[in-house]
Amino acid sequence: MNWDSAMQAPQDEVGEDTGANLETAIGVLQRLRDVVRNQVIGRDDVIELVIIALIADGHVLLEDFPGSGKTTLAKALGEAIGDDRDFEHFIAPFRRIQFTPDLLPSDVTGVPVFDSASNAFHFRHGPIFAHVVLADEINRTSPKVQAAMLEAMGEKQVTVDNVTYPLDELFFVIATQNPLDLVGTYPLPVPQLDRFLFKISMEHIDRKSELEVLETWQSRRDTTGGGSAVTRDELLNSRAAIDREVAIADVVKSTLVDISRNLRDDERVLQGNSTRSLVLMLPALQVAAALRGRNFVSAEDIELLLPRVLGHRIELAPGVADLNRILHDNMREPMERLAGSTLA
Amino acid sequence: MTQLADFQTPGRQGLLPALARAVIIAGSYWLLSLSLTVSTGSFAAVAGCIAACLLVGLQERDSLLKRLRTTVILLAAALLAAMGMIAAGIITGSNLLATLFGPVAAFHLAEGVKWLSFSFALTGALRVLAVRSSAGGIIEVLFVATGFVIILSAHRNGMINRPFFLGDFALSRGLDPATVLLVLGCGAVMCLSALLLVEENRRRLPYHFALFGLLCLSLIGYVQTFGLPTPQMTDDLGLTGNSAQRRENPFHDGENNTENKQAPVAVVVFRDDYEPGGGAYYFRESAYSQWNGYMLDFTSNPDMDRDLIPAPGAPAREVVSSEGRRLVSATIGTLVPHRSPFGLDAPIAFENAPNPNNLRFKRTWDAHSLVPEFDLNEMLGRQAGDPDWPEEVRQEYLRLPDDPRYGELAREIIGGLRPQYAADPFARAWAVKSYLDRNGIYSLANEHAYSEDPAASFLFGDLTGYCMHFAFASTYMLRSLGIPARVGIGYSVPAANRAGGSSLLIQAIHGHAWPEIYFEGYGWVIVDPAPQRTLVDMTTDPQNELQQLLGDMLRGEAAFEEFLQEQAGLTINWQLVLGALPALLAALVLAGYGVKIYRLWIPAAAGLGAQHRLSYRAALDRLAAVGIRRRFGESREAFARRAGATAPALEALTAWHLAHALGERPPRLDIEDWNGMRRRLGSEIRGNTGAGYRIVAILNPFSWLRAR
Repeated sequence: MNWDSAMQAPQDEVGEDTGANLETAIGVLQRLRDVVRNQVIGRDDVIELVIIALIADGHVLLEDFPGSGKTTLAKALGEAIGDDRDFEHFIAPFRRIQFTPDLLPSDVTGVPVFDSASNAFHFRHGPIFAHVVLADEINRTSPKVQAAMLEAMGEKQVTVDNVTYPLDELFFVIATQNPLDLVGTYPLPVPQLDRFLFKISMEHIDRKSELEVLETWQSRRDTTGGGSAVTRDELLNSRAAIDREVAIADVVKSTLVDISRNLRDDERVLQGNSTRSLVLMLPALQVAAALRGRNFVSAEDIELLLPRVLGHRIELAPGVADLNRILHDNMREPMERLAGSTLA
Repeated sequence: MTQLADFQTPGRQGLLPALARAVIIAGSYWLLSLSLTVSTGSFAAVAGCIAACLLVGLQERDSLLKRLRTTVILLAAALLAAMGMIAAGIITGSNLLATLFGPVAAFHLAEGVKWLSFSFALTGALRVLAVRSSAGGIIEVLFVATGFVIILSAHRNGMINRPFFLGDFALSRGLDPATVLLVLGCGAVMCLSALLLVEENRRRLPYHFALFGLLCLSLIGYVQTFGLPTPQMTDDLGLTGNSAQRRENPFHDGENNTENKQAPVAVVVFRDDYEPGGGAYYFRESAYSQWNGYMLDFTSNPDMDRDLIPAPGAPAREVVSSEGRRLVSATIGTLVPHRSPFGLDAPIAFENAPNPNNLRFKRTWDAHSLVPEFDLNEMLGRQAGDPDWPEEVRQEYLRLPDDPRYGELAREIIGGLRPQYAADPFARAWAVKSYLDRNGIYSLANEHAYSEDPAASFLFGDLTGYCMHFAFASTYMLRSLGIPARVGIGYSVPAANRAGGSSLLIQAIHGHAWPEIYFEGYGWVIVDPAPQRTLVDMTTDPQNELQQLLGDMLRGEAAFEEFLQEQAGLTINWQLVLGALPALLAALVLAGYGVKIYRLWIPAAAGLGAQHRLSYRAALDRLAAVGIRRRFGESREAFARRAGATAPALEALTAWHLAHALGERPPRLDIEDWNGMRRRLGSEIRGNTGAGYRIVAILNPFSWLRAR
């Protein structure tokens, strides 16, 4: 929907600071989105979700197959974020960790090394100290490493030798796993899956986009991203502004609660989603609304995010496979109430 | 919502719906078979139906049945039904089974086999058709509907409504039982159609339902307005029916079926105490007395049968001596049309009586009768015939077929009388009666009706027949002995049927004919043979409640007046409803237009604060009128995108609307923005829809109901 033009009229007249802040935030998000879109072709929906998770302070789990462009996506995202602070030189914009069965936690977090010059131990920061971390094939490593990774994701800090090193405020993990090749993997249990805001199943890009990838791969290989489009501080400000400015109507909240209650009552669902998942979803809904230029959460935000947020948090009854169907069945009625409420 | 595809469930039938459908179809078989076969046949029909329903319901999807072509299945069903008929024929025809288990058991077995195969084959065929095509489903519904309608209407038409437990239930609550039964039948059909349509396209369900509902309602309305068709109910003797339809040969009525035997045809309320001496109440309607060349018939001679009353209100004909008789009055109401009125033996006057319930009684009259109180023994020594009769009349009462066997047999019978009684008319008559009592066999099934003289065929043949044969045979024999006799016809009701109250129910089976002899001073006296052997169960359920109820109704008592008024109050005046219907519809349409215009106009009059709601609603109304409406559960944004081809402006309007409804700081708009948006939307809709759509949009008074 062309929200930008639709909101044109009010923007001219809203002169307050708050509105301006939201304007700026929306501008930042759109800039970031456009830059990443230039690098990753045919994945607009995934880019949008990834940006939503980034701003909503969540992490994403991509389920896909090798060579589908997830590294390109993560790298483009990391490179688009500049850091104008020079004192924290150890925070890289982007790091990629390939998880293997023999990886150790220190390979991820970093390790204290003895510096003979200063005759002391210095902590050498691991690849996790970055704005965007691509945790590739996270289910291939041992539970121990997974735990270290997931602790960092939850607490935004790592602890090595009893010393705690904080991670940056802007810390975003894109983890991937291959849904088919499961031999020799350590599947993530449900509580750990809960750390991820979204689980996104990527599908093959369409023919036109695939052709475009082949035609432009040389030019994209030669450029190095063209510098950062947004800064870390801009992103953090946007996060704050969106959190403050985008309204969530009560009827939206009651819709979310009704949907989860329906899901819990559905006999095809063994275990429904947690209340926490709803709490986590609220900032994501706000970002989704902002990304569409709106200052309020609406039904289409719920339609977009609900399957991604709840999909990996619901345990289905044995023999039931069709998650989308279940979600659809349970959403219809509360969504109709939501739509009906606007005319009441 | 790319990930959430719209799924359609394939209709899957469980055991429970299959069973429920089986029960409903079985119900129609039960009703259908009740009048056509014995209880074994009904049970077999129900069993076959349920078996076929379950077989098709559970096997059609994944078994051999699925692979068979429809034609093959239909042929197989026809073959099965035919084989059942043949098998039943063999069972009844074979002596072996009859000797082994008795003829009754063999008959039951045959009926069972016949109905089992018939219902199994027919249900199976109908079910397969219904499962495979929607047209087949309609055929099945029609079959069930026919089953209900035929039986319920035939069973209950005109008579007080049966089954009685339902009829009485309704009557005691002031409802017309016919309506209750129709509603029941309609309900059954509706249930079945619901079950049938479960497996059909779900979108068509409401339309099918509405159609069925409309059909049922119009049926009820039709019955309420025009009444049920009057049945051509006949008893064995042609007593009922129109006077114009006189039977040429009363014996042909012997080919009666067993249906309607219990049907109530009239009710009698006695105004005086009376208990018949002979164990039965005799109601005489008329008599066959004149020889017409091949049998006895109604007389055309005004000098004969002067005791019979041609019509109610005709002057009382005091041709019977009141000696040994007592005056008894009774009110009689007929439930089915009768040829002419009747009264207790011997009626002397009929007076029309007010009909307390036109719905129930076809005709009501007071019958005054001189009932016999004398003992038949008093007839001993009496002269037969009236000395005042002209010789011509006397000769008429003595004419009989030109068949010497009557006289020979009669003389043989009276040969055993003691000498002192040998010449006595009553003793001779009694001897004839006793002969028939001992040797005659009462049976409704006989083959005499088509012989030249059925009475001779009966008397000199197997002596198996029913009242008509007994009456004619004894009359002919009495006449051959020189005793004036005739055949009286009417009703004969066992005294035991009267359940203590003053009312008596006459049922179709009570239609009767009997020989009468004229004794000097006493008039026509009934000397009715009573065969000791009978092949027919003539006992009936006296239906005491109904007897009581109809009696109360006929008596027109105060309590019953109240009851009737209550009933009138509860009955819907269908004519009024039918008349008011167009007006109601017109009012509804006008109201629809009113709301439609109001909702389109109100945004122009409303203030800024309500614009986001009213303008948006008006836009939705306009789109709904041209057939574009939001689906259930669809978000407003998604709908706006979908409607974008017709009204691109809807997206912006939706954004404004939602920003007001869900947001905290909606865009600042003035009234002109809203007006401009509405105009833009209107012109877009006009520009993007065909003329036909626009005309329908303007004409449809309820288009706004579809907006959401």
